Amino acid sequence: MADVVLEKVEKKFGEVRAVAGIDLTVQDQEFLVLVGPSGCGKTTTLRMIAGLEDITSGDIRIGGRSVVGLPPRDRDIAMVFQSYALYPHMSVYKNMSFSLRLRHMPKKEIERRVKEVAAILGLSERLNRKPRQLSGGERQRVAVGAALCRQAGVLLFDEPLSNLDAKLRVHMRTELKRLHQAVKSTMVYVTHDQVEAMTMGDRIVIMNAGSILQIATPLEAYDQPVNRFVAGFIGTPPMNFFEGTLTANGEGASVDLNGGVNLPLGRRNLQESNRPVILGIRPEHIRLSADGPGNHHKVPATIDVVEPLGRDVIVTARSAAGVFQMQTEIYSGLRPSQHVDLWFDMNRSYLFDRETEWAI
Amino acid sequence: MGDLTTSLPQPIVTRRPRLGFFDREAPFGYALVLPAVLYLLVFIAYPFFMSIYMSFTDAQAGNRKWTFIGPANYSKVKSYELSANDFVIATFPTVAEANTFIEKKAEGQQVTDPAAGGRFRASIVIAGKKIPLLEMSNEDDASFNASSILSDLQWKAQKTIGGRYDVVAHSDTPLVIGTYPTRAALKDQERQIVVPSAKRVKANGTGVMQDPNFLLAVKNTFKYTFGTEIIKLMIGVPCALLLNRAFRGRKLLRGLVVIPWVIPIAISAQAWLWILDSTYSVINWFLVHWHILSPQKIINFRGDKDWALLSVILVNVWRGFPFTAIVILAGLTAIPDEILERAKLDGANAFQRFVYIIAPMVRPILMVSLLFSVIFSFTDFNTIWIITKGGPYDQTQVLSTYAYQLGVNAGYLGKGAAVSLFMFPMMALMVFFMLRFLRRETS
Repeated sequence: MADVVLEKVEKKFGEVRAVAGIDLTVQDQEFLVLVGPSGCGKTTTLRMIAGLEDITSGDIRIGGRSVVGLPPRDRDIAMVFQSYALYPHMSVYKNMSFSLRLRHMPKKEIERRVKEVAAILGLSERLNRKPRQLSGGERQRVAVGAALCRQAGVLLFDEPLSNLDAKLRVHMRTELKRLHQAVKSTMVYVTHDQVEAMTMGDRIVIMNAGSILQIATPLEAYDQPVNRFVAGFIGTPPMNFFEGTLTANGEGASVDLNGGVNLPLGRRNLQESNRPVILGIRPEHIRLSADGPGNHHKVPATIDVVEPLGRDVIVTARSAAGVFQMQTEIYSGLRPSQHVDLWFDMNRSYLFDRETEWAI
Repeated sequence: MGDLTTSLPQPIVTRRPRLGFFDREAPFGYALVLPAVLYLLVFIAYPFFMSIYMSFTDAQAGNRKWTFIGPANYSKVKSYELSANDFVIATFPTVAEANTFIEKKAEGQQVTDPAAGGRFRASIVIAGKKIPLLEMSNEDDASFNASSILSDLQWKAQKTIGGRYDVVAHSDTPLVIGTYPTRAALKDQERQIVVPSAKRVKANGTGVMQDPNFLLAVKNTFKYTFGTEIIKLMIGVPCALLLNRAFRGRKLLRGLVVIPWVIPIAISAQAWLWILDSTYSVINWFLVHWHILSPQKIINFRGDKDWALLSVILVNVWRGFPFTAIVILAGLTAIPDEILERAKLDGANAFQRFVYIIAPMVRPILMVSLLFSVIFSFTDFNTIWIITKGGPYDQTQVLSTYAYQLGVNAGYLGKGAAVSLFMFPMMALMVFFMLRFLRRETS
């Protein structure tokens, strides 16, 4: 059992509060992703679990045992660093076996473990190479391998894929996910890339300014963002936001946007009138026609920019309510300067309070 | 088979238009490096080849004409001298028997008989035993040397490796058996000493190889270089590790550390001259003050040959360790934090981190600094010249100071050149091995 529990963990660097008293439970064998913009405290949180940073207050328990004040080596953890942190003067084999050799493990056992891990990671042919003779992806795998050899209860990853090129990053994403299914360690993974977070995590923790905003499965985070920040952070291209005013009449609530655009919400329980709100709608929930299921409402717009991605295009459009993006099929034939009627699926729209930015 | 080449696309040859002289880059490049080339030719290459030439001539200060004399400045043997220190007179199973034998030394008689080949065998007779010592062609020489061994030398009993006891006649200054003009003549006469003895052959001559001061200078140069480097590393490594830690006043200390290195040696050596003064030395003052030494036994730092060499080594260490420390510090700061953090996570304690991670990662840069440092120490002239001038009695001469002493002060330009050129192959060899080590390290 290697669950990780953080209780009111706070970290101050002088006067600066990097992590503001967070509570977090990582279940045994879970793949948990900490995601947020740079400076949000996710790496500091990871380093506090690793024991590379002291905590200012609170408690951290790994496998039910408080590890506050314990040196990193006694915490039953292994970590993969952003820069891989391979020892440049050691061969791949020595890099992977370094921690085991320090523990005076029998040579036979070390060899067995390293070879086993190397086979999983496809490094068997590279064991005698020095890190500098390896490609970026191979170095990355050696770093993961070195952590795996420890057979620690918890594996920590600090943005391990950010130094790879885009193609390799996608490949390694899959590899790491497969690895997690194979080794069944608890994994805590830090990234600033929400795509990585969404694709890899069993649950994702969205952090900002030292606090946890939401702990949720990828689907929950996408579907039920707790506030405007999470809504804008999760999903590409990002959600469109429009400032507006909530008005309620007998038939139901609607939002008045700039330029006289009025969109009925179709939700029943909103009775407040004249409440300043932000309307959020994802680019993939804006359509070219009102066909199909959903509660579609028309917004006339002018096409500004068309960016083909492959199957889809991202279209930037101008309307009276403001500039927004939509995602549609590449065969739609949209061209810049074209005037079109676009349809917002209001069943998939979000409302946020304009003051607090929390979801309504 | 058809003609393949005709079907392959032909490379398109384009003729580049010829640029005007001032538009071309090559002439401008040559013009830029010309001063450096001239400098190298005039101030490096010319003196180097000139000194090689000079070392093969009899050039002396004041002489207008030099004549080529071949390798005589390097090595010219006039005669070989055969000498010996210890003669094993007899061997006994016990120490008592050996001592009884030594007591009878005074009763000993020296006799000389003719031997085979027209030679004469000098022996001594003690306690009825006749022990042959020498066989020489000259009867007087043979009997004179044998008498010396019998009456002038100290006899004592010495335990052998086999557990028996030798009676050894010992002389502090070697007993000269004879001098011979050639090595062949020496070879012929080497069997003159009949008893087992510690023989020594010394070449007398005018080349620097026959100069005992030169041989001492070679020895001193190595002692000076490696003594300096070892102590510098012993101080520099901890110093760099200390300066790499975060503490208050680190920047100030980093600045202070390099002071010895940036002060011109001509100035700092004056302070050292006072510190090492025979009468006013502050070190002696403290040693006497703390009752470690009595005032009568104060250390003569520059007058005693061993202290003098140690003193120049220490001054050189004081001057050179900041460089070593700063270079190692640069190596330390080049190690990414993440690597040291990973080592911590891997379970390495501070000592293991130093041995397995820091030291191997700093080693290449350390070797480069060592290479430079060895070259500087090996050719160092200033420190020694200012502190001891090679004294006392040439006991702290190194190759550079001795070359200056011989070539400039004494005026033997040819010999001075020969001494200084001895440094070249030695250093080339050291640099070769260090570079090879470095290359293996980084490949």
